[in-house]
Amino acid sequence: MYNEGFAEEEVDLSDEVDLLTPSFPVVEEDLDDDGKSASNDASATLHGVYENSFNRLTEKFYMKTPWPEADFIAPLVNDGTNSFDSDGPVGLELPNQWLWDIIDEFIYQFQSFCNYRNRLKNKTEEEIVLLRDNIQVWSCYSVLNVLYSLITKSRITEQLLVSKHGGDMIEAAGEYGSRPLYKMLGYFSIIGLLRVHCLLGDYTLALKMMDNIELNKKALFARVTACHVTTYYYVGFAYMMMRRYADAIKAFSHILVFIARTKMYHTRSYQFDQINKKGDQMYALLAICIALCPTRLDENIHAHMREKYGEQLSKMQRGEEGLQTFEDLFLYACPKFISPIGPNFEDLNSLTQAIEPHHHHAKIFLAEVRHQILIPTLRSYLKLYTTMGIDKLAAFLEIEPDKLRTQLLIVKQKSRQQKWISGTLLEGEYVATSDLDFCLKQDMIHIAESKVGRRYGDWFLRNINKFQDIIAGMELRA
Amino acid sequence: MNSESLLKPSPLIPASRPEIIQSLIDGVDRYNPDNVSILEEYLGTQLQTEDYDLMANLAILKLLVFKRSILASINQYQFNPHLVNEQVINNILVKSLTAIPNPDFNLCLYLLHENALAEENVTKLIELQQLLEECKYQEFWKVYESDESYKELTSDAIGFEDAIRKVILTSITMTYQSISAELLSSYLNLNTDDEEFDSFIQSRGLVNKDGIVLVPTNYDNEAKPTVIRENIKFEQLTKVIGYSNEL
Repeated sequence: MYNEGFAEEEVDLSDEVDLLTPSFPVVEEDLDDDGKSASNDASATLHGVYENSFNRLTEKFYMKTPWPEADFIAPLVNDGTNSFDSDGPVGLELPNQWLWDIIDEFIYQFQSFCNYRNRLKNKTEEEIVLLRDNIQVWSCYSVLNVLYSLITKSRITEQLLVSKHGGDMIEAAGEYGSRPLYKMLGYFSIIGLLRVHCLLGDYTLALKMMDNIELNKKALFARVTACHVTTYYYVGFAYMMMRRYADAIKAFSHILVFIARTKMYHTRSYQFDQINKKGDQMYALLAICIALCPTRLDENIHAHMREKYGEQLSKMQRGEEGLQTFEDLFLYACPKFISPIGPNFEDLNSLTQAIEPHHHHAKIFLAEVRHQILIPTLRSYLKLYTTMGIDKLAAFLEIEPDKLRTQLLIVKQKSRQQKWISGTLLEGEYVATSDLDFCLKQDMIHIAESKVGRRYGDWFLRNINKFQDIIAGMELRA
Repeated sequence: MNSESLLKPSPLIPASRPEIIQSLIDGVDRYNPDNVSILEEYLGTQLQTEDYDLMANLAILKLLVFKRSILASINQYQFNPHLVNEQVINNILVKSLTAIPNPDFNLCLYLLHENALAEENVTKLIELQQLLEECKYQEFWKVYESDESYKELTSDAIGFEDAIRKVILTSITMTYQSISAELLSSYLNLNTDDEEFDSFIQSRGLVNKDGIVLVPTNYDNEAKPTVIRENIKFEQLTKVIGYSNEL
């Protein structure tokens, strides 16, 4: 890897950060105190400080600007990520929450700078020249380099493999990886790469990053709420872009249930607003997925989605006119994509008419939606019959019989989706994801609907309990 | 009766993938511009055969698009708009057409720079993709044969037309239990009188009987009403069983 890239970029960015440094010392004292306790293995105390005092400090000093990056805090607490290139591991311990924020903020800065660079419309000539001459600043490549380096240094992949398949953890972790600081930075870098690859439109690689991480409550990412939410947002989004709507729905509903249940616990956290915003975006994405792949949801989630996006959902299922709604929701809820190259400074014409990366992604996604825009209408007719002639249905729909045949082929293809069954997130098999199926015998449509059978389990359980209570009551009397 | 869908996702690890490619795309070496020639060579063998490797091809696209970014990060940025080899991009897109209805074509587009989508050849390939995704098979062949440039564009991929026919035939076998031979032949752009038509459909177990082609039932064209039954797991019952032991 080309390590030089990152160091240079730090220098170039310092302008922005210099504005913040004057207020550093105040915070430094605070951190210094806790720095000592960190070495004394009291990272629980530190966690409290991070969650609470930190918020107060943020309100005081960094109300309108983000906190500086890890690399700038590092020297103030005697050590930090910069010393990754030094001779040995540093003996510092930081709360997971904080380590996550370091990675999260790093990517956020990258993303913001790329978006800033991409919008050349209202920039002065001076600014454009400055950007052109410093094209290496925040290049995608150097950002990837940092995240991959953290993964390599911490040997987190090896550690995850050992925890899955067994083996010698100390040997797998190595000198650096056996320290929580490095281990967790490496782990969060994996989640960070999931995000960065999504921002760059590489959805398969994004999910591939998760090869050694299982999506369950015991996973490390679940220890930090913000990380937990981020993970599911990007996993769900990547699935959606890969046309795996059923898998996307599963991911979104899982985390939305979690957010709804834990709402009261994190109201005081500084991440509260952010988590709520992400949650709201995920309801929008969920509505898109449900429109494309009608699925039964958890009752609370369903009610909540209807409340928020009920109107949009029914619009999206009403044919052509719904396309605009798809686009609106997509643009509202998609991540802030990054153009991998940035603007072409050579061609001055293209500077002013550069396409925003999110329009690029929206355009491709919406073309896909357009293919299936008539499916809900068609489904609603098919549901009413068990057999029906092509001509008759075509007459109902006021389209040519040939066009109806074409539409039916689309309905069939879209009623199958690649769905996760076991293994890594990228694995999956095509299965029927619709409750409505049909086949064609020449000019006749034969329709079959699958129904959910009665649920006996609950009924029996309740009655068994009742019976046991009665027996217990009788025995008491006797 | 087969209990699996006729549709298969593009394999994550195709059997034909050489070890060197595997190690290359697994690690950070996938970003090393020196490796692009190895990957392109591998694309060359995919074009000669039916082999297809989505993950490797995505890695090529990423490398091509990233070249500028990589060079920038090591301060060797050159203002050379033709760094990106257009033919390689086209060939990757052509290959992914043969993987429809898998989302591969779009997964490639998402990776490209937004300006690349406006290039003439890419626009043409997108046009073909749209027709295939919209199942407008007759129109697909019409457009494909309307202009020599489409054939030229896909000429590097040996057996492209037959690969597309397979895509179409899969879609038909998923939907129909029987279909008029005339209609099917128009979808496949083959003549019912030709031996090629019969041998092609027979390769998938379809039989032409007096102008009606019969499709054996499969997971996708069966359309049997099913009742989804609840699945009670043992864990749900542990409480009840545990309690009854106490009695």
